[in-house]
Amino acid sequence: MTETVGSTATPDSGNAADEQSETLSRRDRKRANKAAGKDGKKKRGDRPNIFARVALFYRQIIAELRKVVWPSRNDLTTYTTVVVVFVVVIMALVYGLDTGFSSLAKLVFA
Amino acid sequence: MLTAFARAFKTPDLRKKLLFTLGIMVVFRMGAHIPVPGVNFKAVQACVNASAKSGNGLLGLVNLFSGGALLQITVFALGIMPYITSSIILQLLTVVIPRLDALKKEGQAGQTKITQYTRYLTIALAILQATGIVATASSGALFGSVNCDTSQIVPDQSIFRIATMVITMSAGTVVIMWLGELITDRGIGNGMSILIFTSVAAGFPSSLWAIKVQKGWATFAFVIIMGLAMVALVVFVEQAQRRIPVQYAKRMIGRRAYGGTSTYIPLKVNQAGVIPVIFASSLLYIPGLIVQLSGSTAGWAQWVDSNLVKSDKPLYGGLYFLLIVFFAFFYVAISFNPEEVADNMKKYGGFIPGIRAGRPTAEYLNYVLTRITWPGSLYLGLIAMVPLVALGLFGASQNFPFGGTSILIIVGVGLETVKQIESQLQQRNYEGFLR
Repeated sequence: MTETVGSTATPDSGNAADEQSETLSRRDRKRANKAAGKDGKKKRGDRPNIFARVALFYRQIIAELRKVVWPSRNDLTTYTTVVVVFVVVIMALVYGLDTGFSSLAKLVFA
Repeated sequence: MLTAFARAFKTPDLRKKLLFTLGIMVVFRMGAHIPVPGVNFKAVQACVNASAKSGNGLLGLVNLFSGGALLQITVFALGIMPYITSSIILQLLTVVIPRLDALKKEGQAGQTKITQYTRYLTIALAILQATGIVATASSGALFGSVNCDTSQIVPDQSIFRIATMVITMSAGTVVIMWLGELITDRGIGNGMSILIFTSVAAGFPSSLWAIKVQKGWATFAFVIIMGLAMVALVVFVEQAQRRIPVQYAKRMIGRRAYGGTSTYIPLKVNQAGVIPVIFASSLLYIPGLIVQLSGSTAGWAQWVDSNLVKSDKPLYGGLYFLLIVFFAFFYVAISFNPEEVADNMKKYGGFIPGIRAGRPTAEYLNYVLTRITWPGSLYLGLIAMVPLVALGLFGASQNFPFGGTSILIIVGVGLETVKQIESQLQQRNYEGFLR
């Protein structure tokens, strides 16, 4: 339910519903929700059309992306340098091995 | 910072693991240079040199993944491609076949069984591919339209010789599989990734040099700068996390209080890592392989050959993109199970503030995960498309070294491995690389 109905705010596990139906027990509310869902499917007008839903989904994606912790500039430079150094070291090593082995192979097999 | 590398070597336990991994890499590269019995080494060398000048379509990528061993027809010619392909197939099948699903849920014992099936399938695929390569090598089609004396590659085409070649190559693949598992067990990082990383890294220097020779220093410098920028971009996205706060309830057991800590579940934007790219590219390689095996020149074969083999065709690009997006979601669904995480949290008295434990938590995790994976998967697909753009921009050659696939593999595996070394260092209270 939370996926199509509602805002970009993170869903709060039906807390919004609590306000409307405080007196109903949890199971009753669930049933009521289910019935409402079925009705909505039949009417079809209730449900926002596909474009509205895609737009909502898109807004939700943006909202989640805002909550992502992106690496800081400092982190980024450290990680990038470390990865580049590591890759260059391995590459140099493999290159050295390759030249050695290929000349060895030429010596043995040719 | 770089002293951390030295410190990593000073820790006896870690040094052992690092040296072990390096040793396996040495063995892996050695096998990539030992020719299979029955081929004429000199003729192959001549053809390889000739084909290095004119890019080779289908085999370019496979050759990249085997670190140049394929075209040389060596013992390790197949690389770890068969192993990867078979593990993809088994992971796909667990969704389809209920028995495999049951095995997967069984835990350790079931997982061992699945690993066993993966190995058998690897052998089958290896035999298939080895047969294909030996057949194309002996008919001279392996090098395509390259101008060299292909009739001399396999001088003696008796059935015994051919069988020996196929068996040797398949055995080589099995050895590679074993090496990979050894790294996973006793070395650093995931063996499969480390070996593919080694292969890709092996091709890098020569293709970079080829750019310098063909286009001069200016383009070379431009490519290097662009490569560094891409590395930074990949690192940036790989490091981005959506942190979901988790609060643990305080418990009194006897007179002592336990728990009451707050942590978070890190959901990476690109939770799937490099796996989707590897999966997608090895899946797209299959149609070309089938055509090559069948050796047919019928209509469909020519269609496949012209549309699905070279990476600069729009159909190939589009399909590649879609497959990457699909596998990103697929792999996240396999590797991260919101229900399981929610269950575990419930068991240990943890909850996400504002959300009930149990099913609502699982739903919430799923909500965040689907929304965060969309941009992640699109990013993966777009990065993989970079070579196409580069191709259009300044007519770079087919095996453009900073192609999306190779750069994702290099940076992804590099980052993962460095982080593992880092965490091992931190276990011993050392400052790691990444302060």
